[in-house]
Amino acid sequence: MSTVAYITVRGLFGRRRALLLLPLPLLLMALAAICRGYDVKPSDWGQPVIVGLGLAVVLPVIALIVGTGVLGSEVDDGTIIHILTKPLPRRDIILAKLLVAWVVTALTTAVPLFVVGLLADSTRLGVALAIAAVVGSLAYSALFLLLSLVTRRPVLLGLVYVLVWEGLLGRFVSGTRVLSIEQYVITLADKIAPTGLLDGKVSVPVAIVMSAIFALGGTIYAINRLGSFSMAGETS
Amino acid sequence: MSEAGVIHDIGYQRYTGPRLGRASVFTAMYVHGLRAAFGFGRSAKSKIFPWMVAGIALLIAVINAALKSRGITLFNYFQFVDTLAWLVIFFVAIVAPELVSRDMRSGVLPLYFSRPLRAADYVGAKVAALVTAVFLLLGAPQLIMFLGAAFTTKTGMRGVWDEFLRLLPGWGYSLLWAFLFASLSLLIASLTGKRAFAAGGIVAAFLMTAPVVGVLNVLPSETAHHLSGLASPMSLVNGIQIWLRDGVDLGLDVGRFGPIYGIEWVCLVAACLLLLLARYRKVASL
Repeated sequence: MSTVAYITVRGLFGRRRALLLLPLPLLLMALAAICRGYDVKPSDWGQPVIVGLGLAVVLPVIALIVGTGVLGSEVDDGTIIHILTKPLPRRDIILAKLLVAWVVTALTTAVPLFVVGLLADSTRLGVALAIAAVVGSLAYSALFLLLSLVTRRPVLLGLVYVLVWEGLLGRFVSGTRVLSIEQYVITLADKIAPTGLLDGKVSVPVAIVMSAIFALGGTIYAINRLGSFSMAGETS
Repeated sequence: MSEAGVIHDIGYQRYTGPRLGRASVFTAMYVHGLRAAFGFGRSAKSKIFPWMVAGIALLIAVINAALKSRGITLFNYFQFVDTLAWLVIFFVAIVAPELVSRDMRSGVLPLYFSRPLRAADYVGAKVAALVTAVFLLLGAPQLIMFLGAAFTTKTGMRGVWDEFLRLLPGWGYSLLWAFLFASLSLLIASLTGKRAFAAGGIVAAFLMTAPVVGVLNVLPSETAHHLSGLASPMSLVNGIQIWLRDGVDLGLDVGRFGPIYGIEWVCLVAACLLLLLARYRKVASL
């Protein structure tokens, strides 16, 4: 299992691919620092930076790139077959990959969000954002890991989820928020550190339970899918 | 090709017909790229995403035309394009990796460049194909809106002509979008052979710049407000519209800096094309 995790990490960070993950968190922190430096009121810049950029773009996009990168790219290459033919339970493969995706996503999003929260309000908000980001990245990772097993175009489907479902519908149609991970993250962070900056739109139990359902359901269904995974030759 | 270059003649018949030059390679690549953009000549699966986007755009245009015939104006040609900004991002994120990342992935670039094809031709054909595809995505619905308005006009030919004069700048605006988005997304897509990474990178690049505009707008400086639109491709094109149409209100105030938006557009497109060229010149010379 540790070997699978090691291979996955190397696949993720090999060549210069890891550099793709850097600009987003850096931009997030830079924007917060600029606003802080110019003494703009946090109530003015908190919403666009924390929610607009941090929770609506940085977290889902990084989770998408990493989550589909750990499994989807191997399915794409066909190299997944080398792992599948080893005498390993499929459960261990999924768990190792999920763990890598979770840790990488959590590290690259929680750290900048902590800094932003610190600059915006207080350590408490920073910690709250970091915890919420860790929870959210688990749910996102499980979802995107599952997507890369149920479809050949996981990134596009994931983008539809992030852009259309969370981005467009989540803003206008209140019912879709119950199935939007972004809203759980906002709610959790708002609950841990109540400031005026965040505006959680779902209730806390819903956020906790639904995050758990996304994480567990995604993992279990992904294990199930990988159990009956067939290497199709079709490459379109 | 030349007789002297034959190492071992195994007696196959040679091709003696006319050899098509660079121009026809360019045309073939352009046509193939344009077809691939919409999934023609591919499996049904690869048609899903492009046609989903195109379908939404066409649907909006049809609804708009239908409402207009009843006297309700939903969007004009410019607002229509602005409304579709997110769809355009999604479209280039689907199509740009399809055009360039696949070639890198399957290692066919050496085959391409073993023809009488220069790096400039390759880049030109791909960019032209994507620009055309994005322009079709925006221009075709605009044409539907035009037809809807033209057939319901009350003032005869004069009304049709006036409507046509309104359509032309709308098409021009679509071209501005098409060039900027095509060159940016192809540049990002040409960095990686993995379509998944390329699509994620393109969306990230376009999305992460949007909040920057919002932040610059709250800074305590008038100049920062006027220049804030430069930070994101979407608001850059909006800024050009505001500049050229003399202060249409789109929630962005460009002040006296309108020409800078135009200059940045030109520079950005040129820079992307040059970087693409540099990238493929390296591949071509291998």
